[in-house]
Order: sequence, then C-alpha cells, then structure tokens
Amino acid sequence: MATPFTVDIVSPEATLWSGEATFVMARTIEGEIGIYAHHEPLLAALATGAVEVQEADGGRTVYGIHGGFLQVFQNQVTLLTDRAELVEGDAEAARDKAAELKALEDDAAAEDDLTGQTGADQVTGSSDAT
Amino acid sequence: MASAELRIIRRRIKSVKSTMKITRAMELIAASQIAKAQDRVSKSIPYVQQLRNVIRNVAAASGSSDHMLLADDRAGDVGVMVITSDRGLAGAYNTNVIRAAERYIERLDERPRLYVVGKKAQGYFRYRGYDIQRAFLGMTDRPVYGDARQIANIVLDDYARENLRSLLVYYTEFKSALTQDVAQFTLMPVEPPPSEDASEGGTTTAAAYSYEPSPEVILGRLLPRYVEASVFGALLNASASEHAARRRAMKAATENAEELTKILTRTANQARQAEITTEISEIVGGAEALTTR
Repeated sequence: MATPFTVDIVSPEATLWSGEATFVMARTIEGEIGIYAHHEPLLAALATGAVEVQEADGGRTVYGIHGGFLQVFQNQVTLLTDRAELVEGDAEAARDKAAELKALEDDAAAEDDLTGQTGADQVTGSSDAT
Repeated sequence: MASAELRIIRRRIKSVKSTMKITRAMELIAASQIAKAQDRVSKSIPYVQQLRNVIRNVAAASGSSDHMLLADDRAGDVGVMVITSDRGLAGAYNTNVIRAAERYIERLDERPRLYVVGKKAQGYFRYRGYDIQRAFLGMTDRPVYGDARQIANIVLDDYARENLRSLLVYYTEFKSALTQDVAQFTLMPVEPPPSEDASEGGTTTAAAYSYEPSPEVILGRLLPRYVEASVFGALLNASASEHAARRRAMKAATENAEELTKILTRTANQARQAEITTEISEIVGGAEALTTR
C-alpha cells in the first residue's frame, strides 16, 4: 500500500478537509497533476476543476475547486482554494460544480463593474448580511 | 383616585420596564452571536497563515519586490480604512476605532483617501467634512468572504492606478469576549513576512521548490489573495468585537434599568402611602368635625 501523507484543503472561511491520503489529483493552470507521497516540493496555481483525494483508509473525497494554490512540502500537501465545494459523485460532477463556482465569481465581478461605472460612492454589501 | 404624581411615576416604571425587555433581548442575541463570530475568526486563521507561509517562500525564491504590491515607492495618496459597524448601541466600540483613525489622520501632512466600512464611520466622517472615497455598508454584522473580495478589488484597483500608495486599516481586534482592542495594520504595500523560523526549514528549502508556472506568476496571484484574506480577517475580528461590545453595553443598560425600576417602585410606594395617609387624615378630620359640633 502506498505511503500516506497529510493533506489540508483550506478555504478562506474554513479548513474544509484535513487528513491522511495516499494520492491527490488536482488541476493546475498548466494541466492535471497527480501527487503521491514524497513528491518534490512544489508550488502551483490551481485552475477551475476537480480535486480528488484518495484517503488513507480507502475512502475517496472529491471537491470542485475554483482558483487557489497547491503547495507540496515535506510530505504535506496544502490546497489553498478561493472557492471549493464538496461533491458527491465522480470527477465529472466536480468539474460541473467548479464551473458553477467560476460562474458565481464572474457574476460578482460583473456586479463590481456595474457599481464602478455608476461612480456611486456607496456600495452595499451582500444581501445575506441579516 | 391616584394622584398625578403617582400616575407619572407608574408610567415611567412601565416605560423603563419595556426598555429593559429590549436591552435584555439585545444582550442575549449579541451573546449568541459572539460565539459564532469567534468561531468564524478562528476558522479563517489557517488560510491566512498558510498564505503567509507560501508568500514567504515564494518571495525568497523570486528575489521579491518587483511586484507592485511589494514596492514601497509608488505614487498616489496615503489611504486610511476604518472598519466600524452599521448599528450603534454597542458602547464605545465605534468611537474608539474612529477616534484612533482620526488622530492618525490629523497627524498626516496630507489629506488621505478615506475608505469606510459601516454606517457609523460614514456618518462621523461625513459630518466632519471629510471626503469619503468609498463607503461599504451592510456587511459588518456577518461578513462573508465576498465582502472582503469586493473591498479588496476596489482598493487594489486604486493602488494599481497609482491613486493610492499605501493603505492603513483601523479595526477592532477581538482578543476575547472581555477584551477587544483597536488595532491597525498596513494592508498595502504588502510587507513580505519575515523569514523567521529556520527551524521549519523555511529559509533553506525555499529555493528547492519547483513552480508551476513561475514564481513571479504565482506571487502575482498570491498577493491579491493575501490582501483579500487580510481584509476578511479584519472584518471578522471587527464583527466579533462589535457583538462583544454590544453585549457588554446592553448588559449594563439592563442592569441600569433594573436599578431604576427599583428606585422608582420605592418612590411610587412612598407616594401611595402619602396618598393613603392624606385620605385617612381627611376622613378622621371630617369625622372629628362632625362629633365636636
């Protein structure tokens, strides 16, 4: 059995997943990357796509991810994601979820542009502040 | 019939009691919010910490400082951001941050570009005739990451256009439910975190990383994220502090109201007694007058 290593998936709002894994598959802006134990130290920018984690106890976790960074250092893999969401199902579903997250951000960006154009000096925050 | 005095006192008691109901409710709500807000603060810490680690490594590898966010010789104005709440009734919470920021602004030789978060800071600075560059409202109660991103995008844009050469953020740091202190930090330019702890191997192995694509590109993506995450951290701290300050203020108000009802009830009793005494003496006096005739 493959040697396990530590994986953390961290988003700005919380640590989403943390534990031991034997294999991680992610999508950087240069292409897909698979990581086993003792991978060389690496820093990569993540693209929009799926991240698959083969857990050390045999389970499998899939996340849809949009943007962020991947760091491999001393058998420790850290994924710093801008947006991520747990997906039930396969990588295909995760890619869809990731695309959704991307669309979400594009919407937000478009909104920013709008407020910028009107030159209003007031910006009201997101509506879910109750 | 109750005398005028007694009626007035009873009316006051009623009013104080209904105010007390409100302050107590607010106290309880704030208390429940503190725990949630505090939880959000501690959950956001790993991201910033990891980000700082990565930036330290990359900055060391790429020879740093050629990115605009690391340069400290840019053109533009000095910027100040003040994070307050939208609602009051939180004791000295807003006043403390605003005053700290204003003291700094008064010491400056130039007029800074002012960014405010929360209605309270907006109201204060507008009333005193400051030019507010941008006001962000409706996000301090429960800030989400999108709020931080929105703020960061705007200030990053101003920085990129050289309208802004630095930005100092004033907010209230949540230390515990009992202590919250006004704090400030330089958001931009980003000060590269000192490459301390060589024990973790940060300095020796920094160059050993392989980068996809290049250190410069990664750094260019990292720094704006770092600005966002820093703003987010400040917003979360401010929000937790706001709830803590409100709970404390409302607790004091409730206690005051209790004290006041106690005093008022006593005065009301006295007035009632006085009234009864007057009535009795009137009756006795009347009866006396009849028998002596």
